[in-house]
Amino acid sequence: MARYLALYRHFLFQRFKILLEYRVNFIIGMASTVIQQSAWLLTIWVVMRQAPALAGWGLSEVMLVYGLVTLAQSLNHMFADNLWIIGWGYVRSGQFDRFLVRPIDPLFHLLADRFCHDGLGHFATGAVLVGAALVQLQIALTPLTALYLAAAVLSGGVIFFALNLITATTAFWIVESIPITQMVFNMHEFAKYPLTIYHQGIRVLLTWIIPYGFASFYPASYLLGRDVGALAWLGPVVAAVLAVISYRVWQFGLKHYAGTGS
Amino acid sequence: MIAALRRHLGIYGAIAAVVPKEYLAYNLWFWAEFVVQILAMIIYVYFWRAVYSGVDRLGGLTLDQTLNYILLARILAPAIESRLIFHFGFLIGQGQVAVELTRPLDLQARYYVQELTGLGVFLLLKLPLLAIAIVFFGLRLPADPAVWLAFLASLALGHAALFCFDWMFACLAFYTTETWGLSMVRVGVAQFFSGALVPLAMLPGWLQQAAAALPFAQAMAVPLGLLSGVTPVSQAPGFWLVQLAWLAGLGLAARLVFAVAVRKVTVQGG
Repeated sequence: MARYLALYRHFLFQRFKILLEYRVNFIIGMASTVIQQSAWLLTIWVVMRQAPALAGWGLSEVMLVYGLVTLAQSLNHMFADNLWIIGWGYVRSGQFDRFLVRPIDPLFHLLADRFCHDGLGHFATGAVLVGAALVQLQIALTPLTALYLAAAVLSGGVIFFALNLITATTAFWIVESIPITQMVFNMHEFAKYPLTIYHQGIRVLLTWIIPYGFASFYPASYLLGRDVGALAWLGPVVAAVLAVISYRVWQFGLKHYAGTGS
Repeated sequence: MIAALRRHLGIYGAIAAVVPKEYLAYNLWFWAEFVVQILAMIIYVYFWRAVYSGVDRLGGLTLDQTLNYILLARILAPAIESRLIFHFGFLIGQGQVAVELTRPLDLQARYYVQELTGLGVFLLLKLPLLAIAIVFFGLRLPADPAVWLAFLASLALGHAALFCFDWMFACLAFYTTETWGLSMVRVGVAQFFSGALVPLAMLPGWLQQAAAALPFAQAMAVPLGLLSGVTPVSQAPGFWLVQLAWLAGLGLAARLVFAVAVRKVTVQGG
């Protein structure tokens, strides 16, 4: 574990050397995600300025939901963005074979190979939104609340990561895995709003099958004092179970990797 | 003169003929976009229903009008998500741009032919989605052929104007390598100001002015306003004039900017 942490530090250090070589690009990359988020924020602001409640949730409350899912996504974006491009970036080009002959875990190597700075913009947006929502809703940041928030965001990040890992594994068979990842990943759009606005079936889907609800709606409900029962505490368990499943799927795929011959 | 024209038409025709094949070669991509767009429609229908649960009208629009417009906007949205700048970045990064520049035909015209054919293929491929929106989400389309013609003319003009804007924007690739980030900025700004996320009539005055000062709405909100029945078809000629003015201005600017920017190109062998 300690060895991998030390290794990751080396990878990260090298990556930043590359990134800072092109400073303007570094800034544009981060700003791009912020601008994308702004389009959504402006939309929700424009709408809720005139219709102040969304199924009983006010603007600040919706911002909290959105901020939490953005934070969770940002972790995945920063540390596991290579899962998106494993197909064309590593499998097709034969780069992936490089990982298999090295004395470290191939998944670790894949993830550590590219820290994605664009995710920093996501992280900043999410943090500002959650912070602003907490202030406006007058929710005091006690050590317990802070701990709960951290656990919720981490669990959310793991859920994003695990789902992407499962879909990225398809690259070992079909090479171009982005469309598959995109279909599942886009389900997180549902979790940008309180799940109560949807049909019951969608809520079940977002809780038990593609559990993005634990990245935003359930922790937000708990912080706002809305009763969601034990689901408020289930996030870390769901994340852990999903992580184990996804790693198994990845190992299964790895065993069947045959290379593309490039 | 006529022979040269025919030769050109033949070349551009051949280029256009490849576009549908490109679309059909990436089966999985088609289905991914299909699923993602259905998801987006579901989200937007629920979202707007929740919004309208407390109010009758927003920006002068009823729930039915808003849903009609937004469903069409969700279907058309990918058509204006141009990533031309990212493509330029790729060409320059690979050195491929040298080959493209030496070809004996106009680069911009070639790309426009591709984009226009792409739009046609795109519209055909979206017919199943349109059917789903009609059956499951209550989308209503006009029966009057004049409305459809007005929509298509307005879409073609707005699309051409936006293409010229993107051509100009893509020239930034000659100056920076962060073209993915810039293409995402372009997509984000366009999403909002084209009216693909929210009907522009709901925006406060200053944002409406910003939307009017940018070209994105010309290829989205303006044609879709006609098709969704939010704006009466009698206003179409006025829209066309505005769109022609956009096209003339941006077309000229795109030519000038490209002529200057292309001098920056450096290809380092390889």
